[in-house]
Amino acid sequence: MKTNRNNALIYILLVVAQILICNFINLGQYLMLSILPVMVLCLPLTIPAAGLMLISAVCGLAVDWLAEGILGLNMLAIVPVAFIRNMVVNLLFGKDHTERGDGFSIRKNGFVRVSVAILICQAVFLTIYVIADGAGTRPFLFNLIEVGVSLVCGYIISLPIVNMLTSDGK
Amino acid sequence: MKDRGVILRIGINAAVFILLEVAALVMLQHNGPLQGIWISRGVHSFYAAVWGGADNVKSYFSLRKQNEALAEENFRLSQLVRTYREELGRPAGISDTIGPYRYIMANAVKVSNNKHHNYIVIDKGSEDGVAELSGIITSSGVVGIVDAIGKHYSYGRSFRNSDMVVSARIGREGPAGELMWDGMSSNGAVLREIPHHIRLHPGDTVYTSGFSAIFPPDIPLGVTGEATVVNGSTYNIDVTLFMDFSSVRYVTVVDNVDRDVISGLEEQDEN
Repeated sequence: MKTNRNNALIYILLVVAQILICNFINLGQYLMLSILPVMVLCLPLTIPAAGLMLISAVCGLAVDWLAEGILGLNMLAIVPVAFIRNMVVNLLFGKDHTERGDGFSIRKNGFVRVSVAILICQAVFLTIYVIADGAGTRPFLFNLIEVGVSLVCGYIISLPIVNMLTSDGK
Repeated sequence: MKDRGVILRIGINAAVFILLEVAALVMLQHNGPLQGIWISRGVHSFYAAVWGGADNVKSYFSLRKQNEALAEENFRLSQLVRTYREELGRPAGISDTIGPYRYIMANAVKVSNNKHHNYIVIDKGSEDGVAELSGIITSSGVVGIVDAIGKHYSYGRSFRNSDMVVSARIGREGPAGELMWDGMSSNGAVLREIPHHIRLHPGDTVYTSGFSAIFPPDIPLGVTGEATVVNGSTYNIDVTLFMDFSSVRYVTVVDNVDRDVISGLEEQDEN
């Protein structure tokens, strides 16, 4: 019970952190930092996909609302991540994890597999976010560079968050 | 039972996903000016593609009707042209009989193409006025001759038949000979018995001569190709037919109303 409450608190704090990143950290036009994808990836595997999508939509909407962004942009990009989360976990860590509801971790599942999972989630999120943000006005190369740079940086900041949210860190 | 549960779960997930994404797009459209234009453009393109696709499908399925209407109109216009020709520019209304020939529009129900003795079945019979030994033509040439008739269908021998011969001539006023299928290619024929002294030009158009009591004159049949001398006295000329027998659909049955009179005279002469 206490662990659940702690988890919820950590997630709320991470959403607040994402809002602060969006509001106060301007890293240039080629970089968009987001920890929402890794948060969705690390949500408990016992939550069904529909619930996962609803939670991620609420988180995305909260960030959009409170970070003076365009309402709906983060929500549009994060819901597909929630939609594919279970598929990614099944594919990389095996179906057992989802069926048993066991969490994954770098120590249990290996650094490479967890890294691939993070990269897939970040890539899906960033691709949709960057395309929708540009709304067809930016050249393809610009979008590609933005996705690439943001993916590398997002991956780097995602690793400690995975460590914090998965069973290894607790 | 388990499968049904899985399908239901996938359905619910897909529905929730679509619902949330649509909600996000609607919010985005109303809150980002650029995104609003972008999404509107996307939605319009989607509608255009869907409507365009639906229209294409509808048009495709109405092609048969349109083809039939066009064939009917084509037949009417052909009759009008024949009437003008016959009346020397003074048409007296459209009739199915022009000069000694009566024309009946028909559809090919079955056409055989891969045999040595090919045939054609048309959807007009004795009750529609089709008589035995009527010709079957299109604007591209001769299709065959009616061999047997039923009430509503007729069976015809195709031109692509080893024993079928059509009287044809090179040009409208050139020498006449016998045109028959070469028995090999789908659009190849041989024009035989062209006198040796005639100067030939490959590419000349071959027309029906009108010497038989079956086909009217001046129906274009094909173009001449290479010629070979036979027995030192006549030419056999390769002819490439205009007719594509694989796509024959709408045909015209042509019946010489004076055929009995001509046949009678021929019989008298033989006796």
